[in-house]
Amino acid sequence: MKSRLALFVVPLCLGLFLLGCDNRSGGQGAPGATLSQLAGGGSPVGQGESGWLGELLGYVVLPFLLEGALLAVQISALAMVGGVLLGLGLALMRLSSYAPIRVIAWIYIWFVRGTPQLLQLVFLYDALPGIGIKLDTFTTAVIGFALNEAAFSAEIIRGGILSVNRNQTVAAASLGMGPLLALRRIILPQAMRAILPGMANDTIGMIKGTSIASVIFVNELTFRSQQIVGQNFKFFTVFAAAGVIYLMLTSAISLVQSVLERRFNHELEPATRGASSWRRFVGWGPSWLPGRVAAEAAPPTGAVGSSPAIAAPPPETAAERSAHGLLWREHLLAASPRQADQEARPFVVCDNVCKSYGGREVLRNLDLTVRRGEVVTIIGPSGSGKSTLLRLINHLEHVDWGEIKIDGQYVGYEKRGNALRPIRDLAKARADARIGMVFQQFNLFNHLTAVQNISEAPIQVYGEEPKRARSLALSLLASVGLARHADHLPHRLSGGQQQRVAIARALAISPRLMLFDEPTSALDPELVGEVLAVIRRLAEAGMTMIVVTHEIRFAREVADRVVFMDEGSIVEEGTPAEVLDNPKEERTQRFLRMVEREETVVDA
Amino acid sequence: MVRSKLLFAVAVVLSGSAVMLGTVPAARAADPPKCEPEKLATKYPSLVGKKVVIGQDGESPPYSFRDPKNFNNIIGADADMVRAAFKCIGGQFEFKLGGWSGLLPAVIAGQADVMWDNLYFTTERAKQVDYVVYMIAGTGALVKKGNPKKITGMDSVCGLTATAGLGTVEEAAFRDQSEKCKTAGKPPINLMTYPDIPAGTRLIQNDRADILLSDLAMVDQLSENNPTAFERGFKVISDFKIGVAMKKGNEDLLKALADALTVLQADGVQKKIYEQYKLDPALILPIAIQR
Repeated sequence: MKSRLALFVVPLCLGLFLLGCDNRSGGQGAPGATLSQLAGGGSPVGQGESGWLGELLGYVVLPFLLEGALLAVQISALAMVGGVLLGLGLALMRLSSYAPIRVIAWIYIWFVRGTPQLLQLVFLYDALPGIGIKLDTFTTAVIGFALNEAAFSAEIIRGGILSVNRNQTVAAASLGMGPLLALRRIILPQAMRAILPGMANDTIGMIKGTSIASVIFVNELTFRSQQIVGQNFKFFTVFAAAGVIYLMLTSAISLVQSVLERRFNHELEPATRGASSWRRFVGWGPSWLPGRVAAEAAPPTGAVGSSPAIAAPPPETAAERSAHGLLWREHLLAASPRQADQEARPFVVCDNVCKSYGGREVLRNLDLTVRRGEVVTIIGPSGSGKSTLLRLINHLEHVDWGEIKIDGQYVGYEKRGNALRPIRDLAKARADARIGMVFQQFNLFNHLTAVQNISEAPIQVYGEEPKRARSLALSLLASVGLARHADHLPHRLSGGQQQRVAIARALAISPRLMLFDEPTSALDPELVGEVLAVIRRLAEAGMTMIVVTHEIRFAREVADRVVFMDEGSIVEEGTPAEVLDNPKEERTQRFLRMVEREETVVDA
Repeated sequence: MVRSKLLFAVAVVLSGSAVMLGTVPAARAADPPKCEPEKLATKYPSLVGKKVVIGQDGESPPYSFRDPKNFNNIIGADADMVRAAFKCIGGQFEFKLGGWSGLLPAVIAGQADVMWDNLYFTTERAKQVDYVVYMIAGTGALVKKGNPKKITGMDSVCGLTATAGLGTVEEAAFRDQSEKCKTAGKPPINLMTYPDIPAGTRLIQNDRADILLSDLAMVDQLSENNPTAFERGFKVISDFKIGVAMKKGNEDLLKALADALTVLQADGVQKKIYEQYKLDPALILPIAIQR
């Protein structure tokens, strides 16, 4: 009976309250009447038909209770801020590569999550004075809840960070972004979607949970309502009123949650983000609300799930293309001025390079030299160490033995005696080396538009002025034929378009060397051509490039030199005519026969 | 019979310690204390400029509860005695309200100076705090209207569900009685503890518990104000003493409160306040410091 009544009363009160019909005077009178009954001083006042409702509403707007609610909100807000910051630190410690740091964070979380919060509060309040730290009630509550929240939010944040694909970190590192910069600009914005629901849960839990702080003299909403009940035993109306107040507070948090979730939902186009939180909050809404209008008005080009062929851009005019092409070449020429006498000097030198993963040798005693302006393609069966070699060249991974020099210098190593040691500021070394990398899976930053993807590193790593960086990004986008997709998020682009954006992104850091790691392997066959065309034009422009590929025809056409790798070492290298048309080694011949057969099947 | 059983259950240690430690009468015949608020600096120098923090829970009528006319006010027998005492002492004070179970730890930790909230004297507590006792505890058993389980004394609680405040002497009394039930070959008591008295009364109201043991005045007021819901099963006037507690070592404060209470008792102020809140003046105990 009572629960039924509550079902009816709570929404009604909420509605009346929102409409402003708070019935203040009646409300104030009601508790007084019942209390005089208790004190025995007055005759019991019979309650009229609407007595209980007026009484309940009276309690809802009672300043005494609202002050308690405000206190709960203040403690929760401060504790959440402190707790989330501390939690972020703990989450990063948990993800650290240093075991002692991981263990410290683990122990903290284990202890705080594993002990009752009531005891933690009493300890802070009543035990710390023993060592001379006497905190007041409010401070104790804020610190106590923050310390507790830190343990829980650490795990939520860690979960969020882990939910972001690792290739985002790799891509950021290849652009010279340091770990903290990558965390702030790339990882956390994407992790927020996974983090927010948990955080909203914690906030709501904390607002309600501040009631346990009554043992340390926090007079918040629940304690105050208990005090009223303590004298008039009207627990139904008083607690229902407290419930209504809590419901209003938690509704506000839910609303904030949905606004933030919309803000961090990178599947929504920027224009519609933030619009119509109401619709998202309740799951539906009238069509005149801005969110729906924007969603419906969005042009259908490149919609998710539509075939990539439709998403391909309309061909640009010849004038447009040549204009952009010029800008693009200028940019690259400015980046690496070429002098005739440098032409023949080796630019990339790999000397006796070895690399193992967990005891398995991936590269053994590999030597490779690439001259300035040379285009080298590396072919070979999967698992032969091709991708690993690229990652060693721009120091995404450390070499175990041997050394690699770019233009005569180590990238992020210093020589100590006979051995190479990675230096501390690897990110800066990578940034200074200016080596662009393009990945098989594109690895575009999912939460940034095409143009933002390109301008991110120039602005954040190289300190380029945002306006200039944007116009450079637009010109690079135009050079890969995607001027019209500047403001599209990656998920709205086809694979081929994404890879072209990824190439433009790598070019934006004015690379002296471009590494391509199977750039067309993840593409549908009909999209391979548009990507290869861009790479071909780069080769024509004189870019030094190392391209790992399975496209034998492309290798033949573009490469100055072809390297065939198998089982961690170079089996055969030479001009395309030598290696591809007249392979000497048996292993090369076998590989080429197999690849040719596959290509024939595809062509058929 | 009933009475002696309860007393035996909860007061053996107490009486022993009372004999050993003795009680120190605060009022010496030679020098009867007087209210001299202007002499604060000479009588109790360490209280000058100090705001004494009084811990109460604000949710246990008739001792400490919110004024129905103004919720920001604390009234009740204990609260009014605090005001009268400090008027007499001439010092400053403030109320600090928190859950009852957090009050004593706060006093021991120095987060509050005094717990003045219907606190019983026990030797265990006296190891850490000093008391000024002022009242004898009466214990009342709250049962459902009509006393359906025919509860007339502690020995009739065996096998029933009983409730008492967490960490109170009533809880200890039930545990003790439960052991006795077992010794006597009867089923033990099923004990539930409540965080605050309204929560306890709901247990009785909803038949979740058969008997609630609490302060006599509180039980009487509950049954008086809810005549259709509750009645008093039985009452016991114990020799439990109720006192004001403060951390050991606060000699000025201890003396100031003992002096002031002695005056209030002699002048009949205590009796007047007790009558106002329907407390039986017979419960008043001569003021004494107990350590």
